Amino acid sequence: MVANTASDAATVEPTGDESPRLRVEGLSKSFRNVDALTDVSLRIRTGEVVGLVGENGAGKSTLLKLLTGIHQPTDGRVVVDGEPVEIDGPRDAAQHGIAIVKQEQDVVPNLTGYENLYLGRIPDYARGGVIDGDRMREEAQQVVDDLGIALDVSEPVESYSFNQRQMLEVAKAFSESIHTDNPVILLDEPTAGLEEDSRDLLFERIAELRDQASFVFVSHELDEVLEVSDRIYVLKDGTLVGEQSSEEATESSLQQAMVGRETADEYYRVSRQRSVDGDADAVLSVDGIDRGDDLADVSFDLHEGEIFGLVGVEGCGKSALGRVLCGVDAPDSGSIRVRGETVEAESMSEMVDVGLGYVPKDRKSEGLLLYQSLPMNISLPSIGTDRVTDRLAGIGSALALIDHNKEVAMTEAAIEELDIRAPGVDTLVHQLSGGNQQKVVLGKWLVRESDILVVDNVTRGIDVAAKEEVYRVCRDLVEDGVSLVFIGDELPEVIGMSNRIGVMKKGRLVDVVDAPPGDKPTESELIAEMI
Amino acid sequence: MSERTSQSALRERFESIAEDRTLQDWVIDLGPFALLAVLMVGFSIASPVFLTFSNLVDNVLRNSTILLLVSLAGTFPILQQSIDLSIESMVGITGVIAAILVSDHQFGALALLAAVLAGTVLGALNGIVFAKFKIPSFLVTLGSLSILSGTALLMTGGTSVPYRNPGVRQIATGHVIPGVPNLVVWGLLVYGAMVFVAFKTPFGRYCYALGENENVADLSGVDVDRYKIGAFVVSGLLCGTAGALLTARTASAAPGMGSGLLLQSIAAIVMGGTALTGGVGGPHRTLLGVLVIGVLANGMNLVGIQSFVQDIVLGFVVIIAVAMSMDRRKIDIVK
Repeated sequence: MVANTASDAATVEPTGDESPRLRVEGLSKSFRNVDALTDVSLRIRTGEVVGLVGENGAGKSTLLKLLTGIHQPTDGRVVVDGEPVEIDGPRDAAQHGIAIVKQEQDVVPNLTGYENLYLGRIPDYARGGVIDGDRMREEAQQVVDDLGIALDVSEPVESYSFNQRQMLEVAKAFSESIHTDNPVILLDEPTAGLEEDSRDLLFERIAELRDQASFVFVSHELDEVLEVSDRIYVLKDGTLVGEQSSEEATESSLQQAMVGRETADEYYRVSRQRSVDGDADAVLSVDGIDRGDDLADVSFDLHEGEIFGLVGVEGCGKSALGRVLCGVDAPDSGSIRVRGETVEAESMSEMVDVGLGYVPKDRKSEGLLLYQSLPMNISLPSIGTDRVTDRLAGIGSALALIDHNKEVAMTEAAIEELDIRAPGVDTLVHQLSGGNQQKVVLGKWLVRESDILVVDNVTRGIDVAAKEEVYRVCRDLVEDGVSLVFIGDELPEVIGMSNRIGVMKKGRLVDVVDAPPGDKPTESELIAEMI
Repeated sequence: MSERTSQSALRERFESIAEDRTLQDWVIDLGPFALLAVLMVGFSIASPVFLTFSNLVDNVLRNSTILLLVSLAGTFPILQQSIDLSIESMVGITGVIAAILVSDHQFGALALLAAVLAGTVLGALNGIVFAKFKIPSFLVTLGSLSILSGTALLMTGGTSVPYRNPGVRQIATGHVIPGVPNLVVWGLLVYGAMVFVAFKTPFGRYCYALGENENVADLSGVDVDRYKIGAFVVSGLLCGTAGALLTARTASAAPGMGSGLLLQSIAAIVMGGTALTGGVGGPHRTLLGVLVIGVLANGMNLVGIQSFVQDIVLGFVVIIAVAMSMDRRKIDIVK
């Protein structure tokens, strides 16, 4: 099934006269005899935008790490402007004109924008040990302005929004490699977590900067890759399985190459959407919630087995609402009722006791104990309940003791049910792929038997196949009577998954749109209300 | 499909293991055992007395017990990525309380219990100020270090408080098990209890979770403040126990009798494998660090190294041990 796409490789564009800016020849990388990358060859011409797609573990990160000198190849070579080079770390890579915008933001929040921009080169701006801050700021502002990014570099980075920080990262990559002509800039999921406007802005900049630079664009969002790239390379299991020109490629042709099969039409499994009795008693009622500048008079009901979507632009209050629902933040006024009972929670632990669970937006810093094992993570909300602990009879009954057998059995059941791919229960969760990590976060609440889940961008940063798996898990949960508040930045996903969709704007819930199977609202209908 | 995904998962796993499982990880896991073995072999060769039952039990273990108790006390806050700096004066003040109650108020053995209780209450105060007022534990306990030592000096006028009560002394110096001082038995009982607490109770589990990432624990519905206070309650309780037993052993108490224990205990905790960055290690490993320090001190005494030099050696051992055991993964959080 893969073979046909693999043979499509090469001969996509004619040219050939000019030598490529960057050429990768037979690059391989093994870790302890496990091949992470096998015999990958590709080329990037001056001014070209090349997409790089593949599932998690397909080798994208390894390739980027080889190009920036974080790893050294076991075989093959990198050729810059016809000269074979050995890249010895990111700084050396920048010398060769290769810079990277990483997925995780590498900023120092308490320093200003210009200090961050020139962080590694501050000594260059010092005379006699004293920093010429004005010169640094002016040059930094010039770099940012030239890129058409609206940023005041004299502000500390902590005052920047997520989007602004991401744009600063882009500017930084530029400034680092700007002393070479036509740098090659590697964009590693630069749009993860970006709002639509900023994303469009970023794409505009990329298009404009093509006469100054070449780009490698790595993303899970295939529509973005198609929009931005001239050609797209597809990696699968460490090998290059396809090269498609973006005129001919479609999302499904890319998906097919990545996964080795057609994606189901029923990506979101809409046929499994439960019909909800809107007249029945609500499991969760929110009435007139206010909180500071974030939320104003928000009211809605969530019914059993319902998925209630929440959409809106950045800062509209949808994530803030999620935190209030889970008791993480307290509302200034208004009430929350769970199955008719008013709950005034001062902490999340009280909301967990009445059946709520929360899948936060950032699984790495908010959802997972990365360096602990699967049972440690999955049982975390359930410690102290009889799912994990035993109580002694008689006088010791006040003392709950952890039963490790129960805990492991419970973890194994969750691994089975959620289809978590881990080498063993004692695996540390940072060793898992993003999709499997997210299943671990869901598993925490599955095991806790929470029946109201608030999920915030539940598929953020995970690959296509893993997304499908997460959608399946959500549908399974709903079939078991769980109700979901489904907060999302990706509109197609929220539309596909939800029974009803709440649109938020400036802290208010401005509309609730029905989304029954076969009569889903379109993206543009929602966007019109969001802005 | 399943084969494909599991293959890439496997690849990822090996990739991360290849990157993460370094020599340093092995050093953290096995280092204390190796160090202990090297020291024991070395001192056995250097001194014929070293490897005798009476030296090992009466000197090494007995002299290490107070350090063991105090190190176990410090382990729980450190496991949570906090720290209790007040342990020295906690030992001093609880010991002084015990001695005064025995000598002036005829409390007898009950005085020791009172000292334990006092330690628990003081620990709880540390914890409450730390957790509820959100003041870093470093600062809170630095403050109480000074407050408690000043209070102990005030209570005694700066002198030591001797007492005459052979029954109380027996609690630490008697031999319920022939050949083994009671002090050592107490130490091992507390050790067993703390290992149990760390692995079998929700409190113990939450110590690991809080040390790894407090935010995650909070968003998983853990009552974070309660368990942060808990770590300091346990710390106070064990320091009180150490103060009580030290008073029982020496038939007197002095406000400054805990001095030197803080550095040694942090060295023992970290050498054992509980990183200052929290979330890894635990009380079971702390024993190893305590033994390394105990064996080192005893061996150097036997070979006739003078005590000033011993301090210098200990200082170097601490720095090297901490440097080798720093958890690189979380090093960016260390301040």
